[in-house]
Amino acid sequence: MAAQVGAHSRSRRGTVSSVLGFIGKHALTVYAMLVLLYLFLPIFVVVMFSFNDVEGRFNFVWQGFTLDHWMHPFKDPALKDSMLLSLRVAAISTVIATALGTLIAFALVRYKFFGVGPTNLLILLPLTTPEIVLGASLLTLFLVLNVTTGFMTIVIAHVMFSISFVVVTVRARLRSFDWTLEEAAMDLGANEFQTFRKVTLPLIWPGILAGALLVFALSLDDFVVTLFNSGQEVTFPLYVWGAARTAAPPQINVIGSMILLVAVFGIVLAYLLQRRRA
Amino acid sequence: MAFGRLRPLLPYILLAPGLVFLLVFFVVPMYTLLRQSLNEGTLETGFHFAWNWSNYSDVLKRYDEQFIRSFRYAATATVLAFILGYPLAYFIAFRGGRFKSYLLFLVVLPFFTTYLIRTLAWQTILSDQGDVLTLMRDLGLLDITDKLGISQNGRLLATPTAVVMAITYNFLPFMVLPCYVSLERIDRRLVEAAQDLYGGPVRAFMRVVFPLSLPGVFAGSLLTFIPAVGDFINAEILGSPRTFMIGNVIQSRFLELNDYPEAAALSFILMAAILLAVLVYARLLGTEELA
Amino acid sequence: MPAEKRLWTPAPWWSRRVSRRGLLRGTALGAAGLTAAALVGCSSDDESSGDGATDALDSLSISNWPYYIDADTIADFQDATGISTSYTQDINDNNEFFAKINEPLSRGQNIGRDIVVLTDWMAGKMIRLGYAEELNKANIPNAANITPSLQDVPFDPGRKYSLVWQSGFTGIGYNPELTGRELTSVNDIFDPEFAGHVTMLTEMRDTIGLVMLGMGIDPAEATLEDARAATEKVQEFVDNGHIRAFTGNEYGDDLARGDVWAAFAWSGDMIQLQADDPNLQLLLPEEGFMIFSDNALIPKGASHKDAAEQFLNYVYDPVNQALISAYVQYIPPVQGTKEAIVDIDPELAENPLIFPDEATLANAHIFRNLDEEEDQQFNELFQALIGA
Repeated sequence: MAAQVGAHSRSRRGTVSSVLGFIGKHALTVYAMLVLLYLFLPIFVVVMFSFNDVEGRFNFVWQGFTLDHWMHPFKDPALKDSMLLSLRVAAISTVIATALGTLIAFALVRYKFFGVGPTNLLILLPLTTPEIVLGASLLTLFLVLNVTTGFMTIVIAHVMFSISFVVVTVRARLRSFDWTLEEAAMDLGANEFQTFRKVTLPLIWPGILAGALLVFALSLDDFVVTLFNSGQEVTFPLYVWGAARTAAPPQINVIGSMILLVAVFGIVLAYLLQRRRA
Repeated sequence: MAFGRLRPLLPYILLAPGLVFLLVFFVVPMYTLLRQSLNEGTLETGFHFAWNWSNYSDVLKRYDEQFIRSFRYAATATVLAFILGYPLAYFIAFRGGRFKSYLLFLVVLPFFTTYLIRTLAWQTILSDQGDVLTLMRDLGLLDITDKLGISQNGRLLATPTAVVMAITYNFLPFMVLPCYVSLERIDRRLVEAAQDLYGGPVRAFMRVVFPLSLPGVFAGSLLTFIPAVGDFINAEILGSPRTFMIGNVIQSRFLELNDYPEAAALSFILMAAILLAVLVYARLLGTEELA
Repeated sequence: MPAEKRLWTPAPWWSRRVSRRGLLRGTALGAAGLTAAALVGCSSDDESSGDGATDALDSLSISNWPYYIDADTIADFQDATGISTSYTQDINDNNEFFAKINEPLSRGQNIGRDIVVLTDWMAGKMIRLGYAEELNKANIPNAANITPSLQDVPFDPGRKYSLVWQSGFTGIGYNPELTGRELTSVNDIFDPEFAGHVTMLTEMRDTIGLVMLGMGIDPAEATLEDARAATEKVQEFVDNGHIRAFTGNEYGDDLARGDVWAAFAWSGDMIQLQADDPNLQLLLPEEGFMIFSDNALIPKGASHKDAAEQFLNYVYDPVNQALISAYVQYIPPVQGTKEAIVDIDPELAENPLIFPDEATLANAHIFRNLDEEEDQQFNELFQALIGA
């Protein structure tokens, strides 16, 4: 298509604009690549320093290559505990938030009901509130209720800010869903349950999964809201925060890189599965 | 079947669990936050509700600098994110072709690493004695940046530059993704027609593509600006006491000094200010649609 | 959202048709949600009954500052007594840690720790607020080994609630390669050459104390006016960017990186850092310097008070203390450590920073013991300084 457009331009307005267009096209590519490079710069550093053979406490000067840290990523029991806690919190938060959010998304897209506006507003507000306010306000609630901050409060906090993300994600998917397919399936003789299972669910499943993955990632990474509501519990981001005050061990880089690898692996897997299904 | 009677109630049944959860854990806390902001006392003497509006005036007077600074940094970061992110989004949407998904994935991938780890990496990269700064120093670049006010005394850490740069970095995907979604939705035939009509890709872009992508720009700006205003991690790790943002103050008041009333007042003012800024921005752009 | 802006409007004539399907769908999802909630309920029961106290239920739980213990003591203690011990280095700043435990303690709740280590004035605050358990000295016979000068302190006469963990000096840690010269005075930290490469501590008494000494004021006699004068002086240097940050333990990292050239620092930290970078020095300024103690307390409601007392008894044995001392290189509070440490490393026994002589101690200053109101006033001044 670009070539067609180019042909039109050339024939109508001469070479000047086409030359400009040419430069523009490549300038954009170069620019985009530079930005991508910029995005990955800290990641390179993180990954690189996970292999650093550190002598003393500090990990910021390259001293040599070692696989040691990758072999023993959980040398520090506190790191291991924090990672386990983060995973547990993320798992539970994901299930709850995805369930609650999907239900809301369904209601919003499929049905017309009284209170759509306020509902949309309520979904939107947590997304547009800074995390620090979310965390602080939740803490005030727990203070008033005399609830000791800890595991439960972390989960509650994570579910709270995640629901909106699920709603937005699933709703986007639901909107592009062709509801006539359901009617067609019913017309062809399928009952509601079969329709749901064989037609609706497979088609909207990616949306729900996307929402769930989003929640999981958000939960694992969350720092601010957790900081306010974790009490004595230490999640992985909180551990990094504490460790960075003195000297962040290279294992932190290892875990960071691992999370990255898992993400890559997950996407590759999803892609392959999709290819097979198609 | 009994379903018949439940039919009209169905949406409400679906909504109930989630909305109740949000009501209890999002709306009610806003109320408790408000109440807390009107309290007086300390943790030791106990907090009592006292319609203590002086909390608000006190903190506004004392921390006006941090408030203004936060908005300045966040606005700058948003603009920078736009400058960096929009072309990238455009590139992926219009030139990505088969690789669109991969490119998008590449944009998002760095942000799977924990926020803190990324920011700490910037601390290493920008370290005074680190490779980047040493190179800049040897090339004489630091003198130039000193004069421009970008660096201070030959260092990048503990300057507003580092903080703003890191905020931009950390929220870049929030700009790229919405812009991409908006750009991607634009019908290519419209673009083609526009290029024919307006004589050139540049004018077509300005007249057609960009305006059509405004909802995405709007969403992206908000998703960047709002979290950025309340951020404190970048300021803490890469900044100095002179770059403290309102987030740092709130965090310190809440978690280090247990001064809940003032911290709550600060939070409320922050929220109100953001809401105001968003409304103004929305008026300017003339759109209310989000994400 | 106004209706005309919506991209897709659900057609109302669907509602009658899909209600049953919708209900089924909704039920399926709802069931999933309920199952999840049930799962949460089960697992949360395990957690919330513990909720931070989970640790305490099956092990001794200690909170301390970083790099304040050697690698073996905890394991040795576990072997010797069979008490499973968990040691967390989560204290970076007195105020910060206190803020975390203040809330539950004020409600009489267990904070999930059996020993916490806090600096003198904060220990005093804990005791004053009734947050500390009284020590059963019968379980800690070795407590008698405490250095005599530390036996009676204004905030805890007779050491009923606390025992010193380590003491130390606060001076100026610096890198002569970067500063370009040796430092001698407190006011060297204000040298314009070092602009942007200087940090001070978030500890009010350390920072303001040292600055006062540089101004010729004795912190032991400090009035509010003195504090104000000192704060104003520092404020200048914050405003012009001279002071890069106010830190807890972070200065170690910064000094090692070379981002910071001179910092208010704690003695043991500096000695430890010298192992990584022999260039780093600790200056005990000629005008004087601060001396502090960090004290172990048993928080109110701790689940393993006896185990905690056993631990304290263990570390107050000079032989065990010597092991700790050899690593942390702070000033041990236990008599006989000097003799015991000769077996580990005779050089350490001669280090005046670890075993200070009279001459050194003569120059060490403490901050005046502040009452509640003064504490708040001084603190507010300081908070305004570091919060700006």
